Amino acid sequence: MEHHNPDSPSHLKHYFHDVNQQYETSKFAMWAFILTEVLTFAGLFVAYIVYRSWYPDMFVDAHKLLDVNKGLMNTIVLITSSLTMALAIWAIQKNNKKLSVLMLVATFIFALVFLGIKYLEYSHKFEVGQLPGEFYSYMGPDAVHLNNPHIFFSIYFIMTGLHGLHVAIGMGLIAWLIYSTQKGNLTSEYYTPMEMIGIFWHLVDLIWIYLFPLFYLIG
Amino acid sequence: MSEHHITPLRTYLIIAASLLFLSGVTVWVSYIDLGSFNIVLAMFVATVKASLVAFFFMHLLWDDKKNLTMFLMSLMFFGIFVTITMLDTEFRGDLGLNPETKDPINKRAAFYDTLPLTDTHGHPVDEHSDKHHEDKDHH
Repeated sequence: MEHHNPDSPSHLKHYFHDVNQQYETSKFAMWAFILTEVLTFAGLFVAYIVYRSWYPDMFVDAHKLLDVNKGLMNTIVLITSSLTMALAIWAIQKNNKKLSVLMLVATFIFALVFLGIKYLEYSHKFEVGQLPGEFYSYMGPDAVHLNNPHIFFSIYFIMTGLHGLHVAIGMGLIAWLIYSTQKGNLTSEYYTPMEMIGIFWHLVDLIWIYLFPLFYLIG
Repeated sequence: MSEHHITPLRTYLIIAASLLFLSGVTVWVSYIDLGSFNIVLAMFVATVKASLVAFFFMHLLWDDKKNLTMFLMSLMFFGIFVTITMLDTEFRGDLGLNPETKDPINKRAAFYDTLPLTDTHGHPVDEHSDKHHEDKDHH
């Protein structure tokens, strides 16, 4: 049985040669997870592409029922939260615990704002009946001529809904990071969880970068 | 862990500013009618933004290239997924196997009776087709 070097840091697992190997392994595994995430969303993007090629005119007209300002606002909020997340990692690398916690709290608040704006959008759509599949009932003057607009809203709700779920999960993870960093568990010597959750958070931003033009800015 | 690359603060701020600027650009160009080029431009800007996020915020630029390889593989599989699916869905009409005409999707929707049945390209196909459908000249 291999014996632990008493000088090695406490976060080093015995089955790793050194801290750098442990860090690189964690990061590679995180990217494997990101691959599965991309493929999860890929199925939905394929649904979008297929139905948009089947109903090009309906997609153009149905997207006018979405609020571009709210979408743009959410884009700005999410990009800013990505910056604060990156800065939280930058601060912990410099061993500035106070700034790191501050940046994590800012990221958490921006995520909350994102979901708040999303809630306003969703509640409006529930009110007027711009809903997926058989629940669709909106018959406003800007929609009576549309062919199968419920398909657009099925895809809209599933894609933004799954994305919103990722934002909510990200908020839980960031809350845990705030706690761990504040407690002093994460330092410039060991901040792997923050780096991993950072990658996850940037993926959430990255997916929204595509969702925004595909739903709010069609031709 | 002190040997890890620490991205300078200035880099992060420049990248974030570029992302916000490109978001403005993509909204602005969406109001200009460029026909089918709109979607190409929108996807190009989105891909530039996604690359900035992946390389700088996600640190792929300074990482071991195995991580970038993993990420690019996911995009490659997405490409295969799209291509093979569309080889089917784009050519169903050629075989007379049109799922929308045989079993219309909008049969389950609340407004079923008010809308014409359509083929896979959104064109009306049955007796309702003489009703209004202004969407054709809307594009």
